[in-house]
Amino acid sequence: MAGLATEHSSARKWRWGLLDAIVVVYAFIPVLWIASLSFKTPETLTDGRFVPRVWTLENYRTIFTTDQFVRALGNSIGIALIATFIAVVLGMLAAYAIARLDFPGKGLLVGVALLIAMFPQVSLVSPLFEIERNLGLFDTWTGLILPYITFGLPLAIYTLSAFFRQIPWDLEKAAKIDGATQAQAFRRVIAPLAAPGVVTASILVFIFCWNDFLFAISLTSTERARTVPAALSFFTGASQFEDPTGSISAAAMVITIPIILFVLLFQRRIVAGLTAGAVKG
Amino acid sequence: MARQTRRALSENKRAERRLAWLLCAPAALVMLAVTGWPIIYSVWLSLQRYDLKFPEQREFIGLDNYASVLTNQYWWSAFGVTMLITVVSVAIELVLGMGLAIIMHRALVGRGLVRTSVLIPYGIVTVVAAFSWRYAWTPGTGYLANLFTPDSAPLTDRTSALAIIILAEIWKTTPFMALLLLAGLALVPDDLLKAAAVDGATAWQRFIRVTVPVMKPAILVALLFRTLDAFRIFDNVFVLTGGANETSSVSMLTYNNLLKGLNLGIGSTMSVLVFLTVAIIAFVFIKLFGTAAPGGSNGGRR
Amino acid sequence: MRLAAALVAITALAAAGCGSGESGGVPTVNLYYAPEQNLEKVVDDCNAQAQGRYRISYQVLPRAADDQRTQMVRRLAAQDDGMDVLGLDVTWTPEFASAGWILEWTGERKAEAEKGTLAAPLESSRYRDKLYAAPKNTNTQLLWYRSDLVERPPQTWDEMITKAQELKQQGKPYQIITMGAQYEGLVVLYNTLVVSAGGHVLNEDGTQAVFDEGAVRALDLLQRFASAGVTNPSLTNSKEDDARLQFQSGDGAFQLNYPFVYPAMQKGAPDLAKNVKWARYPAVTANTPSKVTIGGYNLAISRYSNHPDESFDAALCLRNAEHQKFSAINDGVPPTIESIYADPEIDEAYPMKTEILTELRDAAIRPSTPAYQNVSTVMSATLSPPADIKPQQVADQLRSSIQDALESKGVLP
Repeated sequence: MAGLATEHSSARKWRWGLLDAIVVVYAFIPVLWIASLSFKTPETLTDGRFVPRVWTLENYRTIFTTDQFVRALGNSIGIALIATFIAVVLGMLAAYAIARLDFPGKGLLVGVALLIAMFPQVSLVSPLFEIERNLGLFDTWTGLILPYITFGLPLAIYTLSAFFRQIPWDLEKAAKIDGATQAQAFRRVIAPLAAPGVVTASILVFIFCWNDFLFAISLTSTERARTVPAALSFFTGASQFEDPTGSISAAAMVITIPIILFVLLFQRRIVAGLTAGAVKG
Repeated sequence: MARQTRRALSENKRAERRLAWLLCAPAALVMLAVTGWPIIYSVWLSLQRYDLKFPEQREFIGLDNYASVLTNQYWWSAFGVTMLITVVSVAIELVLGMGLAIIMHRALVGRGLVRTSVLIPYGIVTVVAAFSWRYAWTPGTGYLANLFTPDSAPLTDRTSALAIIILAEIWKTTPFMALLLLAGLALVPDDLLKAAAVDGATAWQRFIRVTVPVMKPAILVALLFRTLDAFRIFDNVFVLTGGANETSSVSMLTYNNLLKGLNLGIGSTMSVLVFLTVAIIAFVFIKLFGTAAPGGSNGGRR
Repeated sequence: MRLAAALVAITALAAAGCGSGESGGVPTVNLYYAPEQNLEKVVDDCNAQAQGRYRISYQVLPRAADDQRTQMVRRLAAQDDGMDVLGLDVTWTPEFASAGWILEWTGERKAEAEKGTLAAPLESSRYRDKLYAAPKNTNTQLLWYRSDLVERPPQTWDEMITKAQELKQQGKPYQIITMGAQYEGLVVLYNTLVVSAGGHVLNEDGTQAVFDEGAVRALDLLQRFASAGVTNPSLTNSKEDDARLQFQSGDGAFQLNYPFVYPAMQKGAPDLAKNVKWARYPAVTANTPSKVTIGGYNLAISRYSNHPDESFDAALCLRNAEHQKFSAINDGVPPTIESIYADPEIDEAYPMKTEILTELRDAAIRPSTPAYQNVSTVMSATLSPPADIKPQQVADQLRSSIQDALESKGVLP
């Protein structure tokens, strides 16, 4: 897939290189700033310098002295993965139906899904809390997984159905002519083609679960189920008034690095999925 | 012969419908089970005067809460602020996102690096990113404040605080816009672009006359999602200003009344109003601008 | 031996994992309290003293007071029986009591809680003359000043402002640093000024907004202070820690803040700390000493607790004199029992204990009403930014909006 120029002149390369640099700066400066804060000592925290004058690993040591943060990390990863998996699976089923099949209530389903995602979560928190408490789901993984699936589904359904619309379904017809049932055709022919779309939807849903703060702080009360964004508000400074800026920054770096690595590894997949339509161009 | 075909068709149709409902059932069930009662309860609460601190004063008052909220200056101030943030940030994100999408699509060097970088802001926990901006703009502590506004505290003035909130919002969610636009960008057929180039169109003309029109559905979907999300902004406002100096968004206002003020009646009313506004925005996009819903008539089979 | 220890550990883990319940017949008392670094040791000590009658389990709440309240209220509103002893900020007692969420203290336990306790914290634990909580710790702000810039500390606000302006003209560090963000701290500041000026925001019952002459004078003073050119540019975005950091950076001549700044300053800016002394909070009127607003935490018992008797005893143990002294020394939270201040053991951590005690004996509490959160939200929104206050206008505005807030009418900003 070459660009429109037939040759990659060094001038073009330099131009693109410059643009790349701007994008990287745009994306990374705030992240580097947090890294910088995480390495600063309490005394030099407010010296306003981008690069710390005095470097310390104390903040990182602090967040790992208790298992509070590590457990929160574990909770975050586990809950997000499970919720993403279930949401994407359910979303795939629904998206297939929406993209491929004709049935009454299709528009209604999509509309309702969208509206559900749009209702302010703030006012759903208290009723949800009461329901979960009565069911014994308060402060459990399930208690968070269920709302995450619910609010991740509209995103998953929308993304997946948009992808599924672009898949060449003739291949499916060909498989059916060869004798496969609808289910077999789906599994053997369509699924691999849908993979990039699934990856994209998974990432979007995962990041949604990963970032959520409101449900995490409202539906948990102990380290059993508390995720990282909520755990951040339990970090303490030296007294009730001091902001544990150093600890929070260190924790922020620890949870951002995996995301960066994850994105680095899968970016080709993600973008390939999004640009899969170009194959037909 | 014809009747047999018709019967076969309608049997197929019925099987298709059954399959469709079966496939959609789990997702629909989960969504309704979790949000059904809370949403209904919220609406029910909005029709009552109910303050948790004075439980004995609870009573049904119909639409009085709506009257109170809709005639209140704090509500309209927050509404205006939210609209401003939404419109400005989405507009800028569209332009920036388009640029990023193009770079991600056609970069000749460092494509992997650029694609990773673009997704990073989206993957960072929102509260953390907000803290980053807050410290960056605090005079003395922050590099941005020291660079651009060494004499004043930009977070304490309404205009500059709003600008910073908008900037923080843009930084965080442009990747989302870029991703959705990239999907649309990839659909633009190269042959069309080549033909236009052969006809002598400049890069800009190719962009405006060929790329954008083909991308229209993707652009509209991206705009729809981002607008709906932007209207409900909360985290950035909460961390950066706490809603001070009249920089509250409607979500902040709802939070203050519902969870802090424990006024379930008024808080639920605000939630319903936010929901209605968002629904109207979605309606405008879908019906008036013609955003294609995935299952809509211009979707379907090939 | 190791096997026995392992078995005990497993049983303990299993018991802990079951959440609030019984661990082998010993009732668990769940303490929900803000993060306090050494509170766990106090809890262990109380458990040892309880000798199997009950076992306190310390459940940490979020750092910010608002988040703590939100968490507790949500569960109390749902009649959750998983909470027993609650750590309430001093301003929450009327609210929780009016909503019927906490139990009244009566008889012997009430006497025990009141014995030797300072009057102001005790007042903050009462609602309609009934005791609803036992004061655990308190807090009050002091005037911190640079002894290398100022010989004797100013006695009144006007004196302080004038002195700061003089220093500014001389080109020396001059700022009067305090908390002015749109949050509870601003209300604390204003409340101090009002009560020091002899004014009232609410009437005796807490049912009506009064805003008398003293309150208006306080508005005027606040506005003058904020516009005199002697404040830090970030005043309207500063909370306690921001103020501390600003003062430590050397720009300020005066700081009005809690005693936590003292040990923090020793660590963070030891050179500066050598030149910093403290004094009583400045007065509003000459010859009438200031009445400073107190902060702090009280311990209340949840109405839905399954073990109220044990919870009362646990609370009394947690806040007894011995433990308050321990927490005071190790966690920087001033005690509420007067006799502790006479104890030389706290001298090292509290060289300023005389000033603290003097202020506590003559302290101000914030308006006592169940709708305090509403009142506070309305006040902090109206008073911010303080430089823009027009005293008479704001007084009228506040009188009506606070009245609405008291009756829970209308929308909160």
